[in-house]
Amino acid sequence: MYGFEALWFNIKDGYLDGVVRGHRSGLLTTADYNNLCQCETLDDIKLNLTGTDYGPYLANEPSPLHTTTIVDRCTEKLVDDWNKMRANADEPLGEFMDYCTYGHMIDNVVLIVTGTLHERDVHELLEKCNPLGMFDSIATLAVASSMRELYRLVLVDTPLAPYFSESLSAEDLDEMNIEIMRNTLYKAYLDDFAAFCRRLGGATAEVMGGLLSFEADRRALNITLNSIGTELTRDDRRKLYSNFGLLYPHGHHELAAAEDFDQIRSAMEKCPPYQAIFTKLGFGESQMLDKVLFEEEVRRLCDTFEQQFHYSVFFAYMRLREQEIRNIMWIAECVAQDQKIRINDGIVYLF
Amino acid sequence: MEGIHRQLLEGEQWVGDSTGPFFGFMGAAAALVFACFGAAYGTAKSGVGISSMGVLRPELVMKSIVPVVMAGVLGIYGLIVAVIISTGINQTADKPYYLFDGYAHLAAGLACGLAGLAAGMAIGIVGDAGVRANAQQPKLFVGMILILIFAEALALYGLIVGIILAGKAGSAKPGTG
Repeated sequence: MYGFEALWFNIKDGYLDGVVRGHRSGLLTTADYNNLCQCETLDDIKLNLTGTDYGPYLANEPSPLHTTTIVDRCTEKLVDDWNKMRANADEPLGEFMDYCTYGHMIDNVVLIVTGTLHERDVHELLEKCNPLGMFDSIATLAVASSMRELYRLVLVDTPLAPYFSESLSAEDLDEMNIEIMRNTLYKAYLDDFAAFCRRLGGATAEVMGGLLSFEADRRALNITLNSIGTELTRDDRRKLYSNFGLLYPHGHHELAAAEDFDQIRSAMEKCPPYQAIFTKLGFGESQMLDKVLFEEEVRRLCDTFEQQFHYSVFFAYMRLREQEIRNIMWIAECVAQDQKIRINDGIVYLF
Repeated sequence: MEGIHRQLLEGEQWVGDSTGPFFGFMGAAAALVFACFGAAYGTAKSGVGISSMGVLRPELVMKSIVPVVMAGVLGIYGLIVAVIISTGINQTADKPYYLFDGYAHLAAGLACGLAGLAAGMAIGIVGDAGVRANAQQPKLFVGMILILIFAEALALYGLIVGIILAGKAGSAKPGTG
């Protein structure tokens, strides 16, 4: 039980709590999205965005614009805000904010390794990396050719080192093994993050526990969906599921045994919160699943702001901003490719 | 042998209460010590905020020294009450120091000291957040000053009550039995 954070939360973290709530009130609303949807060209989008928080970042972009430029400038704003908050953060908020970015680090590592496999240039790959997940020796990842080398040469000095367990294989990195590596690392990261939040206790443990459970269950669902029909065995699949969440451990039994979408659906529906999600999908529809999951995630993230004196608002702000950037990217792509009929399919409204 | 005993027995004959000064001096110490705890906390916390924000906005540092000054004033309040108390402790034939006086001085010291501690904590926390926020939004300066003034007022109440209580010492009139 918690309830006394009000006595001491503001001593160290009051200022940054105020800052992040200020940023949250600058997120785009439905009215802003309606304006953006009515744009005819990318310059209209830039004009509309200049009136929002993105103004200073987009104001000096010369025409002709590309969708990637708009998305890059918006991401730059998120990174600047995040770094300013991180610079002012005391402990343990600083450690919490670092944990939030380890997921991006894992994605960057996988991106570079995959790109090297396909013989792309390292600099090109570095530009595509998520700026929130950069670390110093990231460029040297291109050198490694097996997971053990990857660990020994580069990752042992990074925060990702504890997520490599003794079950490292000496196999070469190919497509399948890279995905398994990504999911193994992410599972270890989620377990570690959840344990860290539980140690923090209070409102943070409660709210982050809910958010991370949803993340773990969602990843279990996606892993199961993506591994139907591949040569991933049930035990291997089971090993990639996290050790917490609503589906742990009984739901994991059933998910590991599922072989098609309907079996997955019946396994997930045994859990009441997820049953509510699946009733939104018609029978047999799996295309809308991504959007429904995003909507559920956004709903939970917005709810974290209703409570005070906890760190989850920082995590929620980062995720909500990323969702907003995805929305802007979708809108920009629809406008650029003249496909405005589908514009509402890809937007997840925040509020 | 008997003479020595009588001398030992008749050696210490105070007019007032012999344990009275203990409470009195504890009051003086408490006033200063707790007020300085508060002042130190206020200075330290605000100082951290000023250092963090001064890296990028050095021109605002002098304006942001206000919380540190206000925290320093708390130490002065403690000093004032401690000096008032210590000048009031006398144990002489014509100015006896009773337990009454000791209690009054203890109360005065605790009132001023703990109020200064509380005010110092408030000034520290508000000063830290306030100077960081002021660096980003200059219109917050007046608000920060107002909040700091209200926090300082708490220590002022402690000073006033401390002086009143210390003034009560010396007004005890022992009866005749």
